[in-house]
Amino acid sequence: MRPAAAARHVWTASLAAATSLFGVRAPAAQTTGTLDVGVSTVRYDGFLPSGAGSLTPALTWERPGTAVTARGTYLRFESGRRSLQGLVAASLLTPPSLLPHRWRGELSLSAGGSSYADFASFWHATGEARLHFVAGGRGAWIGVTGGRTSYGRAARPVAIAGVGVWARRSLMTVAMSATRSMVGDTAYSDLGSTIHASWGRFGLDASLAARLSSRGAGHGVHGEASTTFTLGQRTALFISGGRYPTDPVSGSVAGRYASAGLRLRTAPLPRPRAIRHPQPFMRRSPANGDGGAGFTARLEVQPVPDGTVRVVVRAPAAATVEVAGDFTDWQPVTLRRTGEDRWESVLHIPSGVHRVNVRIDGGRWTAPAGTARAEDEFGGEVGIVAVP
Amino acid sequence: MTPAFTRTALALLAAMLAAGRAAAQETDSRLERLDAATRPTVAALVDSARTAMLPTEPLVQRALEGATKRASGDVIVAAVRRLAVDLGHARDALGSTASPAELAAGAAALRAGASQTILAELRHARREPLTVPLAVLADLVASGVPVDSAAAAVLGLAARARDADLVEFRRAVERDIALGAPPAAATAAAAMAADVQVNAGARQQRPGRP
Repeated sequence: MRPAAAARHVWTASLAAATSLFGVRAPAAQTTGTLDVGVSTVRYDGFLPSGAGSLTPALTWERPGTAVTARGTYLRFESGRRSLQGLVAASLLTPPSLLPHRWRGELSLSAGGSSYADFASFWHATGEARLHFVAGGRGAWIGVTGGRTSYGRAARPVAIAGVGVWARRSLMTVAMSATRSMVGDTAYSDLGSTIHASWGRFGLDASLAARLSSRGAGHGVHGEASTTFTLGQRTALFISGGRYPTDPVSGSVAGRYASAGLRLRTAPLPRPRAIRHPQPFMRRSPANGDGGAGFTARLEVQPVPDGTVRVVVRAPAAATVEVAGDFTDWQPVTLRRTGEDRWESVLHIPSGVHRVNVRIDGGRWTAPAGTARAEDEFGGEVGIVAVP
Repeated sequence: MTPAFTRTALALLAAMLAAGRAAAQETDSRLERLDAATRPTVAALVDSARTAMLPTEPLVQRALEGATKRASGDVIVAAVRRLAVDLGHARDALGSTASPAELAAGAAALRAGASQTILAELRHARREPLTVPLAVLADLVASGVPVDSAAAAVLGLAARARDADLVEFRRAVERDIALGAPPAAATAAAAMAADVQVNAGARQQRPGRP
C-alpha cells in the first residue's frame, strides 16, 4: 500500500470509529473516543508561518494492562494544502505472575503514516519491549525498539535504546528518559522530561527535551505544553503550543506551533456532578426518611501516628453526630464538635475493613459519604471503609 | 506423688482452664443486647463457627449491628448465618492460614459478587495480607464496577502495590466515578496509572501537535 493511501486509511478508520461512538455510551465502558477540532499557527523549520485548521479523531480501548489507540489528524493550511497523519499504537503489559515481584514487561507496537500535499509521504512500523521495575508510586524502565520507517523510498531500519524513570505524587506524574536512536544513517540522543498533572477541571501536560550528539536530526532544546479545561460532560477546551524536534521515525519536521480548540468525547468528561459522593455533603429532603435534620454527612478516617484513628464527620447544621461501627461494638459514639460543621473523635480502629454508620440528630443510621455503600441486610445501608 | 501423676494432674488442670475460657467465650456478654429469643440462636451459630475454626468476631459484630439498627430477631439470625457461610467459603478459597481479618474481607468480597476463584488467585498473587485488596475489590463492586473488571484491576495491582497504594487507587476510582466516568473505565484508568507508567504512545491523551 502506498504511504499516502495508508495514512488516509488509518485516518479514515479513526474518524469513523470515533464518530460512530458519539451519542452512544461506550458499551464495555472501556472504550473512549475523542474528536479535537482546532486552529493552529505553525512554522516548520525552513518554511514560512501558516495558519491551519485541524481535525483529530482518536479512539482508545483500555483495560488493566492493555491499551490500544488509533489516532488521526487532518490539517488544512491557509494555502489550501492539506496534511494527513494516522497512527495506531498498542501496549500490552505482561501478567503479574510472569516476572518476579516488582518487575513487569511491556510490549508495544506502533504503526502510522503521514502525507503532505500529495508529494511527501512517510510510514513507520515499530515494536518496543520494555522492562519495568515498579516500587509504590515510582518506577524505572529500560527498553529497546526496532522497526522500519520510510520516506517515499526504500525503508530504513529503526533501532532505539532507552531508559527512563518516573514518579507519581497525588495528581502529578513526572517522568524522565534518555534514548539513543538510529534511523538508517541518522543517529541522535534525546534527554527528556514530562509532567502530567490535573487539578479539578484543569489538566496539564508539559515536556522539555534536549537533542544531543545528533547526526542528521538537528540539535537543540525543545519544549511543549498543553492544557485542557473541562467545560461539560463531553467537552473541553484545549490550548497547546511549543517547539518540537524532527522525528525521523514518524517523519514529522521540526517546528513551532500554537493551537487552540475544542475536544469532544464519547464518554463523559470529568466534571463535578452529583452521582454518588460528588460533594462534601449531600442534602436529602426530609421526605427521604433521613429523619432529624435531613442531612447525610461525609466521613473521613485519618490514621494518627500513635496508632489511633481520627474519625472526622462533616455535617452541616447538625446538633449531634454519632458513629457506630464494628470498631465500637456497634455502640453509638458521640463525636465532639471541633469546628463549623466538623465533628470528630479519636478511636482505636485496627487496620482492615470496617462497617460504619452515622446518625445525625438522633435520626436513622445512614451510610456516610466518603465510604462505599452496601446493603446492610437489615433494610438499610452501611458504609464500608478500609483503614490502612 | 509420682511424676506421671503430676503430669496427668497438670494436663487436667490445663484442660479445665481451657474449658473455662471456652465457656467464657460462648457467653459473650455483648450478646446480651439481643432479645431473649434471638440470643441463643446467635450464640449457637457463633459456637458452630468456633468449632469450625472460623472467626467469630465478625458474627458477633453482625448481630450487634442488627441490634443497634433494631432489626427483628429473624433478620439478625439470617444475616449472621449468611455471614458464617460466606466466611467458610472465604476460607475454602484463601486457605486455612488466612487471618480472621482476611476471612472477613473475603466474605465481603464474595457477598459483593467475587468468585472463590478470584480470591484464590489473589492469595496466589500476593505475599502480603489480603485484607485491603479484598476490601478494595468489594468496594469497587459496590460502586458499580463489573466484577470482572474490578477483579482484573485488583489482581494486576495486588502483587506489588502497598496497602496505601491500593487505598489511593480506590480513592482515584471513586473520584473519577463521582466526576462522571463510567465505573469500569475509571477502574481501568486508575489501575494503569497506579501500576506502571507505560509507553505513552498507546495512551496519549494530550492534544496533538500540527
